[in-house]
Amino acid sequence: MRLTRCIAMAAVILVLAVAADALATAASAQAGPFGAIHSAPVTGIAGWILAKQALFYRALSGLIRASKTDGSAYWGLMGISFIYGIFHAAGPGHGKAVISSYLLANEETWRRGIALSFASALLQALTAVVIVAVAAVLIGATAKVMGDTVRVIEVVSYTLIVLLGARLIWVKGRGFLHALRTVRSGPEPAAAEPADAHHVHAADAHCHHHDRSHHDHAAQPHDHALGHHHGADEEEDVLPWGHAHGPEPEELAGPGGWRRGLSAIVAVGLRPCSGAIIVLIFALAQGLFWAGVASTFVMGVGTAITVAAIATLAVAAKAMAKRFAATRNGYGSLLLRGVEVGAALAVMAFGVLMLTGTMASERMGMF
Amino acid sequence: MIQRFISVMAGLACIVAATGRVDAHPHVWVTMTEELLYAADGSVTGVRHAWAFDDMFSAFATQGLEQKTKGTFTREELAPLAKVNVESLKEYAYFTYAKVDGKRRKDAFLDPIDYYLDYDAKETVLTLHFTLPFKTPVKAKAIEIEVYDPEFFIDFGFAEKDPVRLVSAPAPCTVAVEKPHDDNFPITLRLDQAFQTSEANIGMGANFANRIAVNCP
Repeated sequence: MRLTRCIAMAAVILVLAVAADALATAASAQAGPFGAIHSAPVTGIAGWILAKQALFYRALSGLIRASKTDGSAYWGLMGISFIYGIFHAAGPGHGKAVISSYLLANEETWRRGIALSFASALLQALTAVVIVAVAAVLIGATAKVMGDTVRVIEVVSYTLIVLLGARLIWVKGRGFLHALRTVRSGPEPAAAEPADAHHVHAADAHCHHHDRSHHDHAAQPHDHALGHHHGADEEEDVLPWGHAHGPEPEELAGPGGWRRGLSAIVAVGLRPCSGAIIVLIFALAQGLFWAGVASTFVMGVGTAITVAAIATLAVAAKAMAKRFAATRNGYGSLLLRGVEVGAALAVMAFGVLMLTGTMASERMGMF
Repeated sequence: MIQRFISVMAGLACIVAATGRVDAHPHVWVTMTEELLYAADGSVTGVRHAWAFDDMFSAFATQGLEQKTKGTFTREELAPLAKVNVESLKEYAYFTYAKVDGKRRKDAFLDPIDYYLDYDAKETVLTLHFTLPFKTPVKAKAIEIEVYDPEFFIDFGFAEKDPVRLVSAPAPCTVAVEKPHDDNFPITLRLDQAFQTSEANIGMGANFANRIAVNCP
């Protein structure tokens, strides 16, 4: 049991470390023009990613120019856009941190994690295209006007992330407190019974990628009428202790419902990336707006792949936590709820940091 | 199981942390040509910047501006933008940092004077010119001027040819230009010739400051 507690602590600390890292980065960025500049070398993988994406971004300009006369350059443009997108997701504000934290905090399948990543990345590409199409192509707005528009969208997007985090903290915090109470008052009968190994309903015949914990719906009745649709492509997230308390709001929305992920998609995907806008404007100036649009969406696909990879990892981590938790009694539940609360806090922290401008996102329009 | 869980969690944390640490990557490239202005008594009165933006950002910055002749902009047409530029740069301390005899000098400069933008229609490149006067002219053995964006949204790099000039400096003064160290990033991948000329711009990491060091013994 001491080991369990230790691991629970470690997991929570790990999640908080991610948030703390963001804070630390923000702090060093705040250290003023004369401080901390030379003390934080960007090396290793991060530095390499940075160097590469700068290289790819620079290549875009030449390829857009070349596309005017050379049809084959167009394919080069698509290729580089794709690779740039993959590397670009390393930058902040591309939702990777928010999405993975969101996935850690929730019960999600890897398929939904990937869908979430793609939807938010493509929404991001779409926002950039719409802004440039409306502002630049239709009304001939200046860079300043576009910069201001992006800033407004940014504020909305970051506010949504804060709200998303707040909601998660509220929901997951209650779950955590419940688990804490359960641990204090001794394990629940169902959770303490390792012999509950039989599956009760037929829907369980579908593939279980991660959830090999043992369901006993008879022992833990829950309200199917409240929206638990066990579809063929959904993995259910029922845990022995999962329904000891009342159904959580997102469970009411249905495990497979788009509504549940929509808040995350919009919060993350609303904010366009400056790079895409600049590429679009450049393409427009070169008379190749459609090449810019194609490039932006291809970039979006690349970004989505990176975010999806990280999201899958988050889902895998969560699934493992769940499996591990299933082998323990109350403490396992506590661990899981702790991870969730930590992840929820991280979502909110990212939102607050970006909203207050402490965490550098992207800026444009200083020139 | 426990080990696997921990390793996956750790891996995840590392990825998020590693990529999260990279605050930014540049969307603006600036090629700098710098001048240090000397008074008759041998003191430095100011720094004259000429910052040429990359073609993509130049297109972005000039988007929607009125122009009499398509494809080019006159200095007058760009005047309002130049004003906005220098005013916004104040918040970032003009990305210009001074060190006198080894000591950092905070708040060394007055507001910019003689600022304007010009547009090279052939290269489709916008260049911002402005002079930062020292609050008090500096007379010192060693003066260092650094230009960089601590948040690295703008990648500053010196021009290939004659990046720094001392204007009417006393005869014994020498100038050295230090480019960012890019030891960490051996440039193995070259996509096209364009990158060979912008090697200075790819230098990243701890030392992305571009340093001008003047010595007047």
